[in-house]
Amino acid sequence: MNVVVSASEICKTFEVGDLRIEVLNGVNLEVEKGEFVTISGPSGSGKTTLLNIIGGIDKPTKGRIIVFGEDLNVKDEDFLASFRCHNIGFVFQSYNLISTLTVSENIAFPMEWTKKSTSQIESRVKELLEKFGLQHRANHFPFQLSGGEQQRVAFARALANDPPLLLVDEPTGNLDVKTGLKIVEVLRELKEREKTMIVVTHDTRILDLADKKTLLEDGKLVLMFE
Amino acid sequence: MSETFFPINDLMRRKLQTSLTTVSLTLCVGSTLFLLLFSDRTGLGILSAAEEKLTIGFSTIFSRFLLFISILFLALGAIFASFLIFAMVTQRTRDVGLMKAAGCPNNLIFGYFFTELLVVAFISCFLGVILGLLADLALARILSNASFQIQQNPVDFWKILLIFTSFFILMLVFGVKPVLNSTKVEPVKALSPTYYWGIAAPPSPFKASKQSLTVKIALRGIFRRASATIRIVLCLTLLFLLLTVTIAGGVIAKQTTENWIEKAVGRNILLIAHHEICSQYEILLSKFHENMEVSALNYTTEEYLIPEALEAHLNSMPHNIRLERRLVMWVYIKELPGTMVDEHGAYITVGDSREGESLVVGVEPENTFGEWFLDGEFLKEEEGENMCAVIGDSIANSMFTVPLEQYLQVYGGQFDVVGVCVDPINNGKVVYVNIRDLQRITGVSKPNILLVKVASLSDYEKVLNEIRGAVKAVNQDFEVLELNTILEKSLAFLGLLWSAIMFLPFCALASAVPCFIGYVVLALTEQRQEFGVLRALGAKPRTILKVVAVQNLVVLLSSYACGVAFGIIITLLILVPNPLVTSFTVLQIAGLLSTALAATFLISLYPAIKLNRKSILEMLA
Repeated sequence: MNVVVSASEICKTFEVGDLRIEVLNGVNLEVEKGEFVTISGPSGSGKTTLLNIIGGIDKPTKGRIIVFGEDLNVKDEDFLASFRCHNIGFVFQSYNLISTLTVSENIAFPMEWTKKSTSQIESRVKELLEKFGLQHRANHFPFQLSGGEQQRVAFARALANDPPLLLVDEPTGNLDVKTGLKIVEVLRELKEREKTMIVVTHDTRILDLADKKTLLEDGKLVLMFE
Repeated sequence: MSETFFPINDLMRRKLQTSLTTVSLTLCVGSTLFLLLFSDRTGLGILSAAEEKLTIGFSTIFSRFLLFISILFLALGAIFASFLIFAMVTQRTRDVGLMKAAGCPNNLIFGYFFTELLVVAFISCFLGVILGLLADLALARILSNASFQIQQNPVDFWKILLIFTSFFILMLVFGVKPVLNSTKVEPVKALSPTYYWGIAAPPSPFKASKQSLTVKIALRGIFRRASATIRIVLCLTLLFLLLTVTIAGGVIAKQTTENWIEKAVGRNILLIAHHEICSQYEILLSKFHENMEVSALNYTTEEYLIPEALEAHLNSMPHNIRLERRLVMWVYIKELPGTMVDEHGAYITVGDSREGESLVVGVEPENTFGEWFLDGEFLKEEEGENMCAVIGDSIANSMFTVPLEQYLQVYGGQFDVVGVCVDPINNGKVVYVNIRDLQRITGVSKPNILLVKVASLSDYEKVLNEIRGAVKAVNQDFEVLELNTILEKSLAFLGLLWSAIMFLPFCALASAVPCFIGYVVLALTEQRQEFGVLRALGAKPRTILKVVAVQNLVVLLSSYACGVAFGIIITLLILVPNPLVTSFTVLQIAGLLSTALAATFLISLYPAIKLNRKSILEMLA
């Protein structure tokens, strides 16, 4: 099975009081295994909404979303939780680390739901800390880290269970040029390992890595480059 | 921005938080006022019900309980209010930092948040007073319609004003401190999570453990909100202390006091006497639970004395029965002073020469069915050189200074007071002496009362009928009176008084639950986004519920342990002398307290269940 994500005619409408805001209006997208897809578009165009729908944390108003052969529209919360835990790695724009857990614990906790042994968890945490250069920060809390470090922890956490699909939202949006470069390197390395990724970004350094570039405008997804 | 506009706007912006704080404070003020007014009504009810009824010993236990519970109610209300106000103001610390960073002067910031405090405090106190008043009036009416004995006195408006003013001042005092602290702190500190979350020390090195994630997040969440957690633990400790004192104390005191009466009167005892003595004795025993007057009667009239034939007839009955002979009379008694050694080692005279009427009962110490709760000792079986007496607690209180060091004069005879007993007969205005001593000084040779204890309960009715027949056969004027009936009435009366007291803590529990829910909502508001992240990364809804459950359980159990431990100590050491604690009592108390704990815990999960129904995006927003 080569198609990892198949979104067809996805519509999403938000209602704020009497006002109906149509964010997505018939979006179609297919992502194959090992592909690096970017989504760009103006602010408020629905990029994050689309990413959330693909990740199963939001549901479309209309349309069908199939990820790894599962129709996410018809699944219950428990299934979706387990599905996300095993198949999808999320990197949020605002990092969203758990403030009460240390860096190591933040990386470890998604593994604790996959019935991995404690030794497996410990060695994986160690491996990811080294990979992202965070060994010296292992026992620090998120608020004690810089933005770039927090973003690296978010990547390490997303990769903890080695999910086949990575969804990344504006990974360099809040970072300076130099720190952003480190994140670009991480993405480059993941691409080399043929990890399937959908990245929302405007960063040209990341766009240059993409196999498929898309633009979300007026609720429609336009293929810019393949 | 005007000084009035900003606070109102800020309060409106935080709709959930403002309404929760206002509702909780309203409930807190309302329930405290309600409890004060209602316990006053019930308290007055108890005192007026007990007036001229309960013995001094019983009344003391009741008033000690009521006083202690009232103090706890006030303390509980004050701590709840301070916690809620503290929680409200603490949540604004970050905003204070932002405003300071933007260049807003300190006095203006203080003005903004103090106005907010004033608005919330005034509205809550006002609504609370109305709520408390309405609740009191409504419950008083309902109970009165249900024929429950309750005072229908008009509401004391000074009390309302007192509660309003004290809570209003209390809220301002407790609320103004965090506002002042926030305005004094540097903007960079106020904005730092380290400051308002209080995380400083790095934890121990990472060690993965499968079970610990839920507990780890829960415990660190609790410690992050250390200040709020300490306050809610204090609130709940006080609540559980109140519950324990009233539930455990109530149950123990109820059983202990019932046991005193039951042992003093005796179970399955029949009284055989002339019908006029029977009526008189019934009134004397009933004075414990009913206002009754005794008529003048010469107890030693020849016709009232027990015929020897009757005693012989009863003794010859084939059934397993025991007889006790008593000589009862209504006489003048006189207190005689005694001597004792004071703290300097000098001999001093204690007491006076007060005198009054009392019931004097001559008993056979070696053969009596009664078992009294005593201070001192009971009459000796063998006759000594001195005549001894045991006096009832009401006599001891009203006529004696240091009873056990004094003497008593009856019919010119001097008795050593060797004990003070709790006895319902004639409401504790009773003197027990050796029947032989009484017979010697009065010259009355026969008893005027025979008590019969039926040992076998299986053929109780048959034995009763045979005894009735035997009594009537000897003398038509003599009767058999079952003391069980009067005993049951006295026990029911005590039970009613205790249940009125034990009803009060459930009102406190009702007002504590919203307070605890307020804490849970505070915790959830703070953790909501992180719970959303956990869900987005694969945590199932029940994982979130587990985290909240662990947090609530830790807070509840720590409060429960402290509250129950102190409550039991206070009850056993201070409130109930010589408590009667059986394994059933322990089970009953444990059951009631566990039910209260379980109910509070289950209700506290409601906000988490509600949060779990939200979509991940709503949680992340």
